[in-house]
Amino acid sequence: MDFIVKLAAGFMNLFTLGGQQFMNWVTGIIPTILMLLVLMNAIIALIGDQRVEKIAKVCTSNPILRYAVLPFISAFMLGNPMALSMGKFMPEFYKPSYYASASYHCHTNSGIFPHINPAEILIFLGIANGISQLGLDTTQLAIRYMLVGIIANFISGYVTDFTTRFVERQQGIKLSRELKAHI
Amino acid sequence: MAEYRAIRIEKGSGGFGGPLVVKGTEEKNKVMYITGGGVAPEFLDKIVELAGLEPVNGFKTSCPENEIALVIIDCGGTLRCGLYPKKRIPTININPVGKAGPLAQFIKEDIYVSGVTAANISLADASEAPIGGDSADQDGAASGASTAAAAASDNGASDRTSESGEKKGKYESGKKISEQMAESGNANLMTKIGLGAGKVIATFNQAARDAIQTCITTLLPFMAFVSMLIGIINGSGFGEAFSNLLHPLLGNTVGLLILGIICSIPGLSALLGPGAVISQILGGIFGAEIASGNISPSMSLIGLFALNCHAACDFIPVGLGLAEAETETVEVGVVSVMYSRFITSWVRILLAVVGSIGLYTAAV
Repeated sequence: MDFIVKLAAGFMNLFTLGGQQFMNWVTGIIPTILMLLVLMNAIIALIGDQRVEKIAKVCTSNPILRYAVLPFISAFMLGNPMALSMGKFMPEFYKPSYYASASYHCHTNSGIFPHINPAEILIFLGIANGISQLGLDTTQLAIRYMLVGIIANFISGYVTDFTTRFVERQQGIKLSRELKAHI
Repeated sequence: MAEYRAIRIEKGSGGFGGPLVVKGTEEKNKVMYITGGGVAPEFLDKIVELAGLEPVNGFKTSCPENEIALVIIDCGGTLRCGLYPKKRIPTININPVGKAGPLAQFIKEDIYVSGVTAANISLADASEAPIGGDSADQDGAASGASTAAAAASDNGASDRTSESGEKKGKYESGKKISEQMAESGNANLMTKIGLGAGKVIATFNQAARDAIQTCITTLLPFMAFVSMLIGIINGSGFGEAFSNLLHPLLGNTVGLLILGIICSIPGLSALLGPGAVISQILGGIFGAEIASGNISPSMSLIGLFALNCHAACDFIPVGLGLAEAETETVEVGVVSVMYSRFITSWVRILLAVVGSIGLYTAAV
């Protein structure tokens, strides 16, 4: 009998622990994220997508604008995955590189700006929650995540220029370096 | 007899739904606006001019529903924005409001578009089919036999009106008032301020609605799922075994570097990607290990980069599709991005190591 009781208690304990973890996240994470989401959603709606498109057209000219500035702005304004659509203002050859950079930007900037990628935010929040349980401030982590991210994402984008060239040779395809006129 | 042309209405910034293609018919030839206490929206003239529809001010006169080709509202997300979609009448909302209010389930992309400004309205291509015909059928089906008779008599009335040419006895008052309001509307500062404030408030309200929706549909389910996993892992004692197993990998820089490189191997990276589920579970476990003291908090930044080296490798074709890439670009791009992820994974982690200098060192 004792054995069954222990077994049942142990079984329930698994879900009590899970529930505690859930409450910890809901009360610790949700309220702040929610307020940030409200403000960010409103700012984005008020500024509008058209202005981002104007910036995008200017930013295609050089690598730093292309893989560090534009993806950052796009991720902030459009979030994941629509930030990736700004690649349409690039020549075909640069689209994979823009993708490589912008898709990382949707992660590295989400520590400070959770609205960018709420569906996949738990990578950051999971780790950040551990930090805050130790009584430490997570802002430091979020800012470092973003700053290191900008450098790393630029490198990731720039390196893709070379891998694209390599794959072009491998597959015997040449992608256009020129911007299509009709855009 | 007026000539009716199909117009295309797209959603504006922050808006929802659309694009709608609307074309008036002999029977459905009115555009009704129920906005700002009777002030005509700025793009009404454009719609009237492009589509050849006849404007009707919903605050001043009413109009049988089966004559309405298009409704313009400025609802902040309570009742009106769902009312006309429910009746399957194409609806433009000036405010950027999505599915909201008690009739939210009727607000669909094919019948409703919001956040619209004059820039979003254009003549439709010949290839695009207007939705007017469909909605006529559904109106008839929905309203039943008793209203059918009434509709028939209304048709007669509207035919007479259009035959009598530009005089339009029945709707003269409606037109006149809209003109008056347009004139006084320009002069009336209070009205403008009122409408502007209304729009800002509606925008924030919608932002809040979207935020809550995000929490309910994506954040909370995932938290519940991962919490349950963590509960089982910690409660069953499996957690200790598991962290003993993973500790050599998660707990130190070299291990994380190896983990990052393994995760970004081309091909494997695409399998690990979907929804970042694996990264998020590992993130949750990593955080729990930090909280319990098994992993130093100074490792947190390196962990963030290492767990996510393969980010979005599963999504490359879709992402390039969003960028309107050609087929050749997608073929090259999928391989190219996977290669570059593999090549740069260790660079990213080493950058994170450099970036971690001085991070939470006081606590250790």
